[in-house]
Parts: sequence; structure tokens; C-alpha cells
Amino acid sequence: MKMRPIVCLAGAAKLQSAFLLLLCATRLCAQTNLTEKSPEQLKKLSLEELMNLDVTSVARRAEPLRQAPSAIQVVTGDDIRRTGASSIPEALRLADNLEVAQKNSHDWGISARGFNTDLANKLLVLIDGRTVYTPLFSGVFWGAQDYLLEDIDRIEVISGPGGTLWGANAVNGVINITTKSAKDTQGFFLETGGGSSLQDFAGMRYGSTLASNVYLRVYGKYQDRASEDLLNGKNAGDDWRMGQGGFRIDAERSDQNKLTLQGDLYDSDENDLTRKVSKMSGGNLLGRWIHTISEESDTSLQLYYDHTHLGSPKPKVLLEPAGNLKDDLDTYDLDFQHRFGLGEHHQFVWGFGYRFTHDSLQNAPSVAFLPPQLDHNLFSAFVQDEIRLATNLSLTLGTKVEHNDYTGFELEPSGRLQWNVTQKHMLWSAVSRAVRTPSRIDRDLREPTGLPGPLPNSILSGGGPNYVSETVIAYEAGYRAQVATNVSASVSLFYNDYDHVRSTTITLPFIFPLVFHNNLEGRTYGLELSATWQVLDWWRLHVGYDLLKEDLRVKPGQVDASHTLNETADPQQQFSFRSSMDLSAQVELDAGLRWVDTLHNNNLATPGTVPSYFEMDARLGWHPSKSLEFSLVGQNLLHSQHPEYGFPTASREGIERSVYGKVTLRF
Amino acid sequence: MAILASIRHHRFLAILLLLLTVGPAARAQPSPEYKLKAVFLYNFAQFVDWPTNAFAETNSPLVIGVLGKDPFGKILDETIAGERIKNRPLEIRRFNKASEVTDCHVLFVSSSHSQEAAGLKGKGVLTVGDAPDFIEHGGMIRFFTEKNKLRFAINLEAAKADKLAISAKLLQLAEIVSLGHGPK
Repeated sequence: MKMRPIVCLAGAAKLQSAFLLLLCATRLCAQTNLTEKSPEQLKKLSLEELMNLDVTSVARRAEPLRQAPSAIQVVTGDDIRRTGASSIPEALRLADNLEVAQKNSHDWGISARGFNTDLANKLLVLIDGRTVYTPLFSGVFWGAQDYLLEDIDRIEVISGPGGTLWGANAVNGVINITTKSAKDTQGFFLETGGGSSLQDFAGMRYGSTLASNVYLRVYGKYQDRASEDLLNGKNAGDDWRMGQGGFRIDAERSDQNKLTLQGDLYDSDENDLTRKVSKMSGGNLLGRWIHTISEESDTSLQLYYDHTHLGSPKPKVLLEPAGNLKDDLDTYDLDFQHRFGLGEHHQFVWGFGYRFTHDSLQNAPSVAFLPPQLDHNLFSAFVQDEIRLATNLSLTLGTKVEHNDYTGFELEPSGRLQWNVTQKHMLWSAVSRAVRTPSRIDRDLREPTGLPGPLPNSILSGGGPNYVSETVIAYEAGYRAQVATNVSASVSLFYNDYDHVRSTTITLPFIFPLVFHNNLEGRTYGLELSATWQVLDWWRLHVGYDLLKEDLRVKPGQVDASHTLNETADPQQQFSFRSSMDLSAQVELDAGLRWVDTLHNNNLATPGTVPSYFEMDARLGWHPSKSLEFSLVGQNLLHSQHPEYGFPTASREGIERSVYGKVTLRF
Repeated sequence: MAILASIRHHRFLAILLLLLTVGPAARAQPSPEYKLKAVFLYNFAQFVDWPTNAFAETNSPLVIGVLGKDPFGKILDETIAGERIKNRPLEIRRFNKASEVTDCHVLFVSSSHSQEAAGLKGKGVLTVGDAPDFIEHGGMIRFFTEKNKLRFAINLEAAKADKLAISAKLLQLAEIVSLGHGPK
């Protein structure tokens, strides 16, 4: 009996804000930043250097990455291009502080600091300020999250709680995907290619100027991905197709006002082993207004609407016939933030938000959510003060207060200390509380059997109003340094203390239904290391290592039918090594090696493993002219196939070795 | 409920449209851009030679002026603090009208006063501005931005007419414009 969810849903939406202090703190570091520089420093630059600075018109307090006091890693658009990543999950492999496991052709498990199960629920994921985790189970349907990768500016990955700024669900980490301003994507971009797993794909974008300081881009993409194999070598039949298109308008009416309006539409058909098609489609429209009052003060107002549709075939279970689970989710979200300085020593950020979701399910005979229709309100407000205690020492205190329809008020405070030992060495530490509020699966799930009473009427059921929020108190410390002019490094340590973690309780006398409760508690601890060495002008090396120890237990006097095994499926260690070379002005060679430790997962209370593995990706790129680029990408080159996830049964899939070629045209 | 959702949706769109069309265009605080422009003014002073009669004495200050509404705030003063160019101390002066401008070597003409640039001819002042029509009104150097980088255009004829020698280094980096049909 599989304990994993029988729900395999898809498509999703929610939001939080994009205008976050921490991200602002890092967003501008890639470009040479003017705001940061004193007249004294500017005078030392040559005219040519001065003319190379960006005239950033929004005054945002921008810090170099090494000064961001958290376990943050940044994947740039150029990193994505150079490694040949062809999807957002593949790009996320470049963040050392994430666990990324590909389950099959279209499903992925992605988490930070553990808990990477099929119902992984402790990560907050945003695309341009729009939350994309589904309230059905607080996880992400990664197959439905896409963008023209060329137009992604950066992906910021913060491991550790971010509840104070981001709110519920930012328990173990936050992924923030930011696309480029339409101003920076002017002109035509075309790409097409194909290969073994990524069979054929094409993407295009056109950017133009609508009026003075008003920029537009429209884009579209399509991809057709082949199925993976079962471990016995048979075709798993999980091929899929996806199309997406969208637009973005950026208007910079003046130095003080930046407006963005953007939207996307997507549609995807995913096959599975039984050759049934899951459908995921959706669209969103988002508007944002950033108003700069002064160099010390700005506001951001964001509104969005998001719709997701999921149609997922469900199998026959006991007496209940097969059928379709359909979910339509509408999300309306408003977010406001204001940042200002008060005197020499205080930098405040405060804000509020409101989100309304309308979830409408058409239940399948064997999987249901009750009630099928649910409206949900989420109110939130937060305040944070960064207090400059000394020139090189600052303390950031803040809290978020949320009110949701399930559990009422939730509080997510944090304190963060940052000590810039020298300009090149920074130590930080933090204590934070974060919560994962219940999702629909925790409270409303039913898996009907059709059996007559007194036999069990459900296999697995949500805990109803008794299911409360999971909490974590996280203790973190880290060190970030520019060790030498060409070497940067960071290390983060964490100790997380969890309570009210999800468990399952048996129902006597037939064991079933199993019911979700909050009977687990425990701790995790570990470290994340990362270092980059620019060996030569044309050669860069990067290394990353994670260690994770998990120690969950059943609360005294309580029970868990899966012996604490249901919430974790994580490698204890993982390691990555990447090399990036410019062989000549036209030729780039990139290669990445990764090692993932044995994964322990479970089938109800029976432990199973995914063996540890080494894998390698490589890309050779050639751009004979500025506008033309050819590349050849090999993925998972070391084995003909290897599993990254799943209990060792006949239906576990192996991810195949694959290659694809690509032609890119920019003009 | 569907009706309610649809109403919400429309209101939402209306707000978005409003956002796009109504952008208050107020401009008050010095932006980082002016920090950069201040450094350029200081640099221009180094790359231009004035006729000797532009200075009363060999150690007279080199004066950088601002005509009209000052977009720099304290930044310009901070930029030149303690600096000397060719052994001359630097000084900042602020003017309200073109007719008030005397003993000035580099003058930033605020966009509110760009039409007064013509009235500054013959005073031996290197005029710098950022109004789109600044050169047409007789200004010598105009700032503009291109792909978010600061650029400048030089009206060489206007500078020559005032006997200002702009170094080749500066000219190389500038876009050279001439008015063609404009008054000589």
C-alpha cells in the first residue's frame, strides 16, 4: 500500500511580494552599481569606466552578494545559458543549497534542507513576485512552471526560513525567479533544436519600444519531451508537450515611477505509465508600480490574478471506478511595501497583503477534496527594522503577522545579526520562526474506497479542523568572503527545531483510513558550502557541498503509522563541481559533475532507497557571430539511465542519458 | 460566486489600466544619475582648456556653476571638495538667471533654463545640460542616456566659438553634433 499521495495534481498559484529587502539587497549586484558608489570612488574611475556604469534610476539599497546576511545563492541567466539547462528545475540544479530530484519526464522533487517527499511543502517559490505553490498541498507542480529561459534575469535561492518577509510556506527556503525588464529584451530572439529526451523545441521573443521609455516584449515557446524508461528498460510512456506564451511591458515614466504589466498563458499535456493524459493549463496577469520617493525611501504596489487548471486521471481503487480529478484555482493578490530610512541608524520596511483564492474541484471517485469548493482569505502585514549598531554591525528585527481562514493568526518573527568583519569578510547569524499553514490535502482529502460500512470508507483522509500549522524555529550562522580577488566562498550552518510535523494515524479496527495529524517533532541540522574560483580570465571553477542530518520522532504518547518515514526522502550529502571555460572568443565549454548520496524513502512504514549516484552534464557552445550561436548539450552522461527518486518498485523510473542540439539567433 | 469572481476580475483590470496610464511624474530628490553627472562635470573641467583671460589670476578658482533649479543637492559640492585642477581650487556657484552668470567656467544649465543657453555665448563658459533641446538652444555638451548608460554629445562649433579647447580624449568618447542649419 503506497503511502504517497494518490493525488497527482498539477498547476498552481499564489503570491507574495517581489519587493523584498533581501532580494533588493542582491538584485543589483550583478551590474556595476552607481547608488553604492561615493563621489570619491567615482572620481577614481576613467571616463570609459564612468560611461560603463548603469544609470540606475530606482534608488534601492543594493549590496554586493557577499554582504547579504543569509544562505543565499544566485543563478544568473548567463549560468543557465552556459550549462544548457532546458527547464527551470534543471536550472535549479545550479543552486548548491537545493535538493533536486527528477522523478520522471515531467515531475521533480525540489526542496531545501530536507523534507523532499512527493508532498514536499516547505518551500516558497515566486516568479516575478507571483507565488506558484499550490494550496492543494503547498508544493509546486514543476512541470507547469516555465519561461523563455533566455529572458530570465536571475534565480535567487535562499535556504532557511523567510517567513518574516515572505510569510507562510517560506519554511525551509525561498526561490525567487526574476525575469528581465522588457527594456533589456529588445529585438528578436529565436531558438530551436532537438535531441533525445528534449525531442524538439522552439522559442521566440520580440521586444520593441512602444513609446519613449515604454518597452514591450512578447514571447512564445513550445517543447516536446520524450518519455523516460522504467528500470527494467521498458518505456515509461510519460512523454509530454507544453506550450507557453506571454508578454511584459515596462514603463519608466520618470525616474520615480516604474510600472510593469505582464502576463502568461500555458498549456501542457502530460502522459503517464497508463497512457492517461494529465492536463495543466493556466494564465496570469500581474501589475506592479514601484515609486521612488527618495534614495532612502520607496514603495511598491503589486496586484495579480492567476488561474490554474488541472485535470488528472485517477485509477480505480477497490470499488471506486477510475475517473478524473479536476481543479480550477483562481487567485487574486494584492501586495504593498514601503521602505524608508529613519535617522542614521534605522532602515524600515513594512507592508501588507491580501490574497483571495477560489478553489473549485471536480472530484474523482477515488480522490476527493471536501468541500469541493473553497474560498480562502489570507491577510498579512509585516514590519522589519535594520538597526545599524556600529559602522560594520547591524541587527535586523522583524515579524510578519498573518491571518488565514484555517488557523487564524500566525506570527513569524526573526532576528538577524550581520557583522562585516572587513569589507571582504562577513559573518551573520539568525534566529527565525516560520510556519507551514495547512494545505487542502492536510485537512480536506478523502480517498474513497466504495466499501460498505463498517469497512473503511477512505484510505487516506485529511485531519479536518484538527490539523494545525507546522512550525520551525531555525538557528543559522554563516560566513561569506571574498577570500582572494579571484576566490569567493560561503558557508552556512543551520539547526532547525520542528513541531507539529505531519504524521498519519491509523483508525481501528481496520487500520484505514489513515488520517493526517501533527504528531511528529524533531530537528534537522547541517551545513552548506560553496566556493567559486576564477582560475584564469577564461576559466572558472565552482564547488558546492551540502550536509543534512534529520532526526524526526513521534511525539510522546502519540502514534505515526509510517514510523516518521513519510515526511523525508533526502540525501544526507550532496556535492557538485562545475567548470566553465571560454576556449576562444567564440567557443565555450562547460561541464558539471554532481554526486547525490543515498536517498531514504518509504512505502508506508517500509524503508526503501535510491542508490547514491554520480552524474555529469556538459555543453559546448560556438557563436561564430554576435547574433548566431550553436550549442550541443549532454545531460546525465555517466549512465544510460539512473533513478533519482522513488520507492524501488517496477514503476520507478530511470532518468536517461540525453543529448540535444540548439541554434540561437539574436538580432 | 462565479459572478462575484468575474466582478473582482474586472475591477482588477481597471486598476491595472489605471496604473499604466497615471504615472505621477514628480521629480524631487537627486537621483544616482546626478551623482554620475556631477563627476562628469568635474571631469569636463579637466579636459577643457580655457583662454588665459578666463581667469583673473594664475591661482583664481575654477568655477563650476549651476543655472536654475539645482538637481545635484549636496552631491556636486561633495564631488569637488578638496580637489584642484591645474593647481586651481574649485568653487561652486549657483545662478538664477543667465544674466547673472559671470566668472564661471563650467555651467550646468538646468532643463528649466535650457532656452537661456544662447544668452551665455561669449562668456567663455562651457555649458552643459541634459534637456533634449539643449544643443539646439546653443548649449555645448548635452547628457543623454543610452541603454541605461550615460552618454554625452558635444556641439564643437559652439565650444570653438567661445575659444574653448576640448581635448581629443573627451571628443573621442562624445557624439559630435553640429547644428547644420543653425546660426554660426
